[in-house]
Amino acid sequence: MHSLYVAWQYLRFHKVKAVVLIAALTLITCLPLAVHILVRASEVQMLARSQATPLILGQKGSALDLVMNTLYFASKPPETITMREADRIDETGFAFAIPLYNRYTARGFPIVGTTLDYVSFRRLEIASGRMLAVLGECVLGAAVADQLGLGPGDTLISTPENPFDLAGVYPLKMQVVGVLKTRHTPDDRAVFVDVRTAWVIEGLGHGHEDVAAARDPQVVLTEQDGKLVASAKIVQYTEITPENIDSFHFHGDTGQFPLTSVIAVPHDDKAATLLMGRYLPETSAFLLIKPLGVVKALLQNIFKIQRVLNIIFAVVSVAMLLTIVLIITLSLRLRQTEIETMYKLGCSRLKMAELVAAELGVIVVVSLMLTAGLTGLALHWQTALMQQFLS
Amino acid sequence: MSLRRSGMLAWLGISLTLMAWTESQARPTVYVVNYPLQYFAERIGAGQVHVVFPAPADEDPAFWKPDVETIAAFQAADLILINGAAYARWLKTASLPKSKMIDTSRRFKVDYIEIQGTGTHSHGPTGEHSHAGTAFTTWLDFRQAAQQAQAVMEGLSRLLPEHKDAFERRYAELEQDLLALDERLGTIVAGQREQPLLASHPVYQYLAKRHGLNLQSVLWEPEVMPDDAQWDGLRSILQAHDAAWMLWEGDPLPASADKLQALGIKSLVFDPCGNTPEQGDFFSVMQQNVTRLLQAFQ
Amino acid sequence: MTDAQLPFIAIERLTFQYPEGDFYLHIPELGIDAGTKAAVIGPSGSGKTTLINLLAGIVSAVSGQIRVHGASLDQLGDAERRRFRIANVGFVFQDFALLDYLTILDNILHPYRINRALNLTPQVREHVVHLADIMGIADKLKRHVHHLSQGEKQRAAICRALATRPPLLLADEPTGNLDPANKSHILQHLFQYVDEAGATLVAVTHDHGLLSGFDRVVDFQAFDRPQRA
Repeated sequence: MHSLYVAWQYLRFHKVKAVVLIAALTLITCLPLAVHILVRASEVQMLARSQATPLILGQKGSALDLVMNTLYFASKPPETITMREADRIDETGFAFAIPLYNRYTARGFPIVGTTLDYVSFRRLEIASGRMLAVLGECVLGAAVADQLGLGPGDTLISTPENPFDLAGVYPLKMQVVGVLKTRHTPDDRAVFVDVRTAWVIEGLGHGHEDVAAARDPQVVLTEQDGKLVASAKIVQYTEITPENIDSFHFHGDTGQFPLTSVIAVPHDDKAATLLMGRYLPETSAFLLIKPLGVVKALLQNIFKIQRVLNIIFAVVSVAMLLTIVLIITLSLRLRQTEIETMYKLGCSRLKMAELVAAELGVIVVVSLMLTAGLTGLALHWQTALMQQFLS
Repeated sequence: MSLRRSGMLAWLGISLTLMAWTESQARPTVYVVNYPLQYFAERIGAGQVHVVFPAPADEDPAFWKPDVETIAAFQAADLILINGAAYARWLKTASLPKSKMIDTSRRFKVDYIEIQGTGTHSHGPTGEHSHAGTAFTTWLDFRQAAQQAQAVMEGLSRLLPEHKDAFERRYAELEQDLLALDERLGTIVAGQREQPLLASHPVYQYLAKRHGLNLQSVLWEPEVMPDDAQWDGLRSILQAHDAAWMLWEGDPLPASADKLQALGIKSLVFDPCGNTPEQGDFFSVMQQNVTRLLQAFQ
Repeated sequence: MTDAQLPFIAIERLTFQYPEGDFYLHIPELGIDAGTKAAVIGPSGSGKTTLINLLAGIVSAVSGQIRVHGASLDQLGDAERRRFRIANVGFVFQDFALLDYLTILDNILHPYRINRALNLTPQVREHVVHLADIMGIADKLKRHVHHLSQGEKQRAAICRALATRPPLLLADEPTGNLDPANKSHILQHLFQYVDEAGATLVAVTHDHGLLSGFDRVVDFQAFDRPQRA
């Protein structure tokens, strides 16, 4: 006990040295562990999400972009396909289609345009407020609500793709009607809207005053053969309200409207195979893929990186341990007078070793406790942490 | 009564209540957007499903707008039967789960009739477009109604595969009824297809198309006396379209009927039955419609 | 001479040399009685500190006899000499040799913490507080070394030397780093302890002005330096 007491006094007095040593040791042990935990968590989560997503249909091109956009709402949207493709999948009778249009963002978070089928498919639940009911509404992932400090009753404005694009996308002021429960998936970091609301943001659908009923005569430019030609004076709504919702409409055939991808949920394995048969790479203009394969390939790369990291960690650890040994040796040399004094005061060499060991022991134990604590924290928050890395 | 016996009775009571409760819980809920679909679903589903048609009786379900709670109820349903053909305007802006929705008229989508006559206009860079809608009283062509009923049957069978046979059997009966009615109507009009007819409202497009009727519509409401401009409009139609009968959605005001009568036009009610009828059901209302139409073709 | 008749410190024909280097010490005979306050003087390098180390059993003689408080140090092994030191010797160093990371109290108690042979009892703590009181540093016990003046540091060092109530007090230039006023204070404290406890003091000093207080002066110049054997 005396040795521990003396060691503790020593470390207390030489705080900086002790902290540096503890930090160094903690880092040596923590880093590889943390990387391992994160890689494991990413593996588990990425596999879980890709396993839970049987098939993805998208434009031919980068399968990785398609999967990352569909599963993680990654920022780079793939080439679009049309709503017709989602309908075609439904019409096959092999699967039901969940359309996704993940192109726009709101205050840094992806706006995911989809149907309510996505919500039930991912088993998302409302934590507060309610589910989407009409156009112009949005439901926030838990992390979005948390970070933006928004809840039901607030509004959220979509970010224009290009602020100088006057004719193109108008920012849409969306009504926040609900917040989803935390799922520790990318869904926590998304803003969910009806796919048609996403099209409204795209400028494909809009509302305006009824031209024939417009009070301002300047609105109607000419009337030719029963056709009214309206001037640009008609208000372009940037908010869908109960008053104007009835005037919202889409120009053209919604079947031709864009989607970034379609999640196809086959009714069974046989249906999946049959559906895959309809989208053979040789003959199909589209890409129908199992995301699991793509994600597994991606994970292989992550594992490779982890292996390299592990080697780096091993080398750094050895270097750090050598440095620590050096520090201790140097410090013992600096403490030679102290050691001599203690010897003169009757201290045995064994006791001296015990004192040094106690100092090291305290450092090691504290480091290990820190490592255990940090590892525990990492394990506890791994999914949440993972999300930060994945988005 | 012994304690044991009363205990047993209590147990029986609880069991029966529980059974009734679990049955009502187990029965899938089907939401529909108009009365014909409710009728089809109830006739085919026959107690195996709980059919809900939430539009109030005094509203036209085509233009009715449900509140958020009702939309939530639609979302929570096990199956949502919609009419298609742009019926129920609220569907355009409501968020509903696509996988639960069945567009009952999808199969004859190519036969949709586009309504002309409302203004077209243009604004912005996207060019001219029209707000003219799609005629939506699809079921007034009874063959189409049968196809809608078939879609209902398929939806219910997917929902409750164990009752597929019963659904198919009941559908077959319904189909037979509808086709028989179609045939009867065909026979009635067969001789005088070219006879000019008037419709108080543009809701009989599919009926007219099915049987090649020579039908022109005005935009009148049964419960409103048409104004002078509307009468003038009618007179100008009559110059080229010498009709002797006008089809009404509901009983016209006697004054309207009298004034028409003075012009040599008789009134008859052909109820499209979009909402729940006060008496009878879809089939009986349609039978009455057909019977009434007989007068015009005698 | 029997053991009982021998002086507290008895050295005969003692020789010492370090394994390397030219240093060589020869003490033909030296006896110091118990209760004596002895000053050791001599030029630098004459072996004064070596004598202290020999008396403490830190180093051992090459030849000859050295008996302290009845123990023949020349016949004891390292461990036994260490045990002898713990039991019999109190050390006062010129540079105080206090540990900067311990409080003054912990410094004084340090011998108890680093030697299993010593038992740190409440009585010991009481004794140490009493000693600090006598030395005038009772209010500094919770302080670390760097808060103390030179004089206070040496007083703390003396407290540490006296904490185990040693019969032999060895002081190597105890006043070397002190101003004149502190020098006499420190010596008075040492003398007081020796007088009260009947202990023996052997103090190396350069300061001839202080010699008057000692009972005896051992001058290393008196030892001739025979040729190396």
